[in-house]
Amino acid sequence: MQEIIIKIGWVALTLFIVLNYGLLLRAFMMKIVARIGRRIGIPFYQMYINLFKAYSLRTHIFHGVMYYLGPVFRLTGGVGMLLFLPVIFKDPRFANFSASGDLILVLYFMFFGTLGMALGAGEGGHPNAAIGVTRGLSLMSANEIPLTMSVLAVAIQYNTFDIVKIVEAQQGGFLNWVMFANPLAFITGVLGLMGSFGYGPFAVIIAPQETPIGPPTEYEGNYMGVLELNRSIFPGAKLILFMNLFLGGATSWPILVVKTFFFYLFFVLVGAVFPRYRTEQAVRWFIKVPLLIGIIALIVTPMLK
Amino acid sequence: MVNPIYLFGVSIGIAFLFSLIDKAGRKVSIAVLMLTLGFFLYTSLCYLLHFIGGKETIQVFTAGFNPPYSINLQLGLYESVFISMINGVGFLSALYLLQKFQQGSVKPLILFLMAITGFNGIVMTRDLFNLFVFIEVSSIAIYSLVSLDENEKSYAAGFKYMIAGSFASIFLLIGTIYLYRYSGTLNLFGISDFNAGKIEITATFFLFMALFIEIKPFPANGWAMDVYESTNPAIAAILSGASIAAAFFALYKILIIFAGIWYTVTLWIGVLTFIGSNLFALNQSNAQRTLGYSSLGQVGLAMMILGMTPLLGEDMPYILFGVLITHFFAKTGLFWLSGLIRGEDQKSWAQFKNSRWMLFFLGTFFFALIGMPPFPSFFAKWSLILKITAMGNSMMAVLILAGSFIEAIYLFRWFGYAVKLETPEQPEQIKYEKNKMLPIVVAMIGLYFFGIYSEHFYNSGISLDYLPIVFIALFFLFDFLPNRIKAVFALLAMGAFTWQTLPAQSGLPLIFNSIFLAGGLVTLIATFATSQKRPGFFPLAFIMFLGLSGLTTSDNMLSFFIAWEFMTIGSYLLILRGKKSMPHALSYILFSLGGAYLILLAFSLAVSWNVKDGLIIQKALALSNLGTIEGWLHPIVWSLAIIGFLTKAAGFGLHIWLPGAHSEAESDVSPLVSAILLKAGIFGMMMIMIHMGSASIPIADSGISLNYILGWIGAITAVIGTMGALFQEDAKRLLAYSSIGQLGYIIFGVALMTKFGWILAILYTVIHFLYKSTLFLGIGGMYARTHTKNMYEMGGLIKKMPFTFTSILIAIISLAGIPPLIGFAGKWMTYNSVLESGWYFQGIMVLFAGFAAFLYCYRILFGPFLGQPKDQLRNVKEASIFMLIPQYIFVGVLLYLSIQPEFLFQYVSSTISQFPVLKGEPLLWVNHVAQTSYGYWNPVLIMSVVGGSFLIVLLWLYFWVHNTHKVKQFNIVYSGESPYLPETTHYSHNFFASYRKAMGFLYALVAEKFWEWMSDAIHTIGDQGRRIYTGNGQTYAFHILIFMIAVYLFVMGGF
Repeated sequence: MQEIIIKIGWVALTLFIVLNYGLLLRAFMMKIVARIGRRIGIPFYQMYINLFKAYSLRTHIFHGVMYYLGPVFRLTGGVGMLLFLPVIFKDPRFANFSASGDLILVLYFMFFGTLGMALGAGEGGHPNAAIGVTRGLSLMSANEIPLTMSVLAVAIQYNTFDIVKIVEAQQGGFLNWVMFANPLAFITGVLGLMGSFGYGPFAVIIAPQETPIGPPTEYEGNYMGVLELNRSIFPGAKLILFMNLFLGGATSWPILVVKTFFFYLFFVLVGAVFPRYRTEQAVRWFIKVPLLIGIIALIVTPMLK
Repeated sequence: MVNPIYLFGVSIGIAFLFSLIDKAGRKVSIAVLMLTLGFFLYTSLCYLLHFIGGKETIQVFTAGFNPPYSINLQLGLYESVFISMINGVGFLSALYLLQKFQQGSVKPLILFLMAITGFNGIVMTRDLFNLFVFIEVSSIAIYSLVSLDENEKSYAAGFKYMIAGSFASIFLLIGTIYLYRYSGTLNLFGISDFNAGKIEITATFFLFMALFIEIKPFPANGWAMDVYESTNPAIAAILSGASIAAAFFALYKILIIFAGIWYTVTLWIGVLTFIGSNLFALNQSNAQRTLGYSSLGQVGLAMMILGMTPLLGEDMPYILFGVLITHFFAKTGLFWLSGLIRGEDQKSWAQFKNSRWMLFFLGTFFFALIGMPPFPSFFAKWSLILKITAMGNSMMAVLILAGSFIEAIYLFRWFGYAVKLETPEQPEQIKYEKNKMLPIVVAMIGLYFFGIYSEHFYNSGISLDYLPIVFIALFFLFDFLPNRIKAVFALLAMGAFTWQTLPAQSGLPLIFNSIFLAGGLVTLIATFATSQKRPGFFPLAFIMFLGLSGLTTSDNMLSFFIAWEFMTIGSYLLILRGKKSMPHALSYILFSLGGAYLILLAFSLAVSWNVKDGLIIQKALALSNLGTIEGWLHPIVWSLAIIGFLTKAAGFGLHIWLPGAHSEAESDVSPLVSAILLKAGIFGMMMIMIHMGSASIPIADSGISLNYILGWIGAITAVIGTMGALFQEDAKRLLAYSSIGQLGYIIFGVALMTKFGWILAILYTVIHFLYKSTLFLGIGGMYARTHTKNMYEMGGLIKKMPFTFTSILIAIISLAGIPPLIGFAGKWMTYNSVLESGWYFQGIMVLFAGFAAFLYCYRILFGPFLGQPKDQLRNVKEASIFMLIPQYIFVGVLLYLSIQPEFLFQYVSSTISQFPVLKGEPLLWVNHVAQTSYGYWNPVLIMSVVGGSFLIVLLWLYFWVHNTHKVKQFNIVYSGESPYLPETTHYSHNFFASYRKAMGFLYALVAEKFWEWMSDAIHTIGDQGRRIYTGNGQTYAFHILIFMIAVYLFVMGGF
């Protein structure tokens, strides 16, 4: 029993760190994007203000049970994903519940929140929410093609789906990272990931500059607060996963911060530079170059073993 | 025993007296006619029993002289069979014609009697000139009887018949003259010793030409079609039953004497006739003409069998009997039925659609003609195919199956019209007169009687369990009861059957039969939901279940195949019950039948391999004998069987029947056919692979792996099915396409031939059954309330039907493979299998299909349940409790398996560990954690983590959000507009429009276009071909001439 309580304590700490890191990271990224656009941008603590505002609203609407549960599913998806990940390599305190399952579990648990949120948004009854969902799902099914190919290539290379083993195999110098050891798998993975972070040119799901659109259209106040929490945790978890897969994992929190920050920066910069695709353009894009590179990666990787 | 000569004496005497008798009134004449025909029938049946008892053949010599000075009659077992058939159809047709005989002159009675007498004579006589006389007697009578209905068409037809008949008579006479000149006798016994070199060929040539023309060989038979089309149905029955039987027997008598090349000639004329007649029949719409084509097709088949006598040896009579007796009962029955209908077109048979019994008769006749069990033709065709393949003539087997398939196309299409054709006005009331019904009933009983008789005769070593069949019959008899009472008994019967069957099984059969029977049992609860009468539903469902269960209990190819056919019949008829399912049921049955024929071919090749090693056919039938095949035959048998099973499992290219058939079926039939039935194909594939292992084409060093190709088929099926599902508006159609996609995963898993692959396949088999049943029942329950299947016409139903929504939600999460539910196990096994096998690209396609499946998963939840409620659906209620009960049973099992999957996995693992053909590492469970050398999965821990997180987040939200303000419909953030129409606010139609723009090319319907083209091609060939039948007597005479020249050239071996 005591063991479990200690475990839960460490897990809570991980969650807390990742949440705050996520909040700061997002603010920094927005600031960078603003500077690229020659604006000053938000203060680095803006996300905390947003949260404070969201949780201070006193009126809430209710469209139905599924609407209510949507954000719950969403945040559970983000939190759960993090909990299934070993965060710091060879540190049992931050291994979370990664004994639950391997890489496949984490990959598929990502959809838990997606589906729940989509259902909640659906019950909200707003057509724009439904349109946002169709865009999101379309994009997702397309970007999962290169992403899966890349994950499979990594698994082929190290003959395992166990994240710890994959990280372990990349130790001993940065040239052992998949990024350099199997660049094709890495490129495929990065191209696939571009679709899943929601930055340009694949930002059509939420489409930040347009009239309110996307799954969260009907969510305000505390619902939004829950979603905001997830927006910080979920990308954090995703970054940690792919840091483990491509960048050799992290042996301490500072290394984790450095690796994930620059990894994330890439997507943000691409997003800041490129204009947004329409959904069908985005989908088509994924089945062209990324697919081709993925195929080559899958042909080449077995030879690398 | 009456001396057979008296038969002729009596009939000629009475025929002469008829003019006199008629003075006493027509009723007396008719009574005399019936008595005479009854006497004929009685006598022939007595002879039949006599000879079945093993008595010696009777020889009769007229006037006490020996041949060549007297006429010689012979009566033995074969003769008595044929005269029983002739007199039977004679008596029954006369009964059928009572009303007709009542009108007009007495002449038709005389002609009728003379025709029947002539046919009897043709069968019994052993004298060539006498044969000519009897042929003339019967022909002249028939020429006139054809015009019994006294219309222009039938007069013309009678005249054309006369032209053709004259050819036959002249040829027969010329042949007889030659033979008499050189052999000095007319007696068939004497002729058999005759040898006169080239003259013999000329003589026999004319003789055979005459007999062939009497049998109406393709293509020199246009005149016969005109006769069938225009004559009275009862006369057509006589032509098809008695006349052909007589001519056929005459051919048989002569053929065994002259043998040699004439067997080959008969065989090839048979092939031409069988395939050609059926091909030309494809585009027919006239009912009687189609039956005519079909009759001649069957005669062609009989000629083939006769022509293969040297090959078939002692099996020939039995096989021939099976085909002929089926043709005899079914075709006469159908001709008699056609007389009840007003209108000549096949479509007018829709007049039967409200009569349970008439449909039963019709179904019996059609299924018998096509050669389904339990009819004699099934056993005959089975042994025929087996025997000729075993004798090394598999080409002929292919031809026979091809012809049978073409026949099935038009017969099933026609049957569909009768059962389901939408008629603009109410079908006309048919008058069922007793004297017309009796012959039909006799024909029906005859078919079943001889079916069971054949099964015994064949002595296959299988024991059919008749108890369930009795139950099915009882359900049919008590079909008039209200639905719910029937449902209670159905559940009891099904429960008892399940209880009796399942505990005796283990391993793979147990897993599959649990789905078939226990799954069927739970699904049957849904039948309580409707209070309509649902005629025929339960007997048909039971036929299907009996077949399904039979598959898992058979260890023998014959019983497996019978079970397969039973399942096909039952499911076809169940699908056909749907309101708009006519075309879809047709394509289902045709694909199924094609598949069944491929399986039959595979089995017969397997038997032929084992027979080569000295096994007798009965022993060679064991399924385990499939394992002994080696060399080139191995991949051939493997592929034939696998393609056959793929038609049922809806593999890519063979899947086009599925969406329509499954979506147009009734609400409680869809889960039966989609969640349960498809698995039969998977079971078949697994059985083949268990016995035969993997297969490869032995070219190059390592060969081309057929499993690898099958893996690709699985992957393509998965993608095609999923893509199809994305773009459907109809919820059931969506689910149907989704089944194709899911079956793709299973096919992929089976093809892998590894332990992982099979665990994957079996796992998906089980869970697909669970969630697809739930989904179909959920949508079915909704349909009963909303009366629409189009998702965009619904919306916001979550508040009206929360229970349905919840069960569908759980099913969908399982389908999507999202942890923590059991569907994830499927994904996990897929990744492990892909990594282990190295089939990366197929694997990526299968996984991509899984991701794309999210799209339709969301759609089926969003379209009907979320979004804006529609005005017309504001008052709908939750689905019927009887629809919900089975759903929640399935959902309960799904949830249980999600928490405790280990039990299922362990059982599957231990089952497949018995199959040495499966390679690869086993799946291990250590401390409730599933482990492979690649990864691990701990279902209990996952469930706890997810459950815990969910609960904490929920409490967190509840802490912040509790005093909520319930908003009404349309109270949404809408850019200053005020939406008021649900139709314009519910975004649901063409839901994935942008996705379709990008990925729509994957939904290209290539297979559909291919089969459409194929069907067009066959129909066009048939249609162009049949144009040679111009209806002109001279043209027909010319055909006969050409036919004659062709046969002559064939016999002489060229110019």
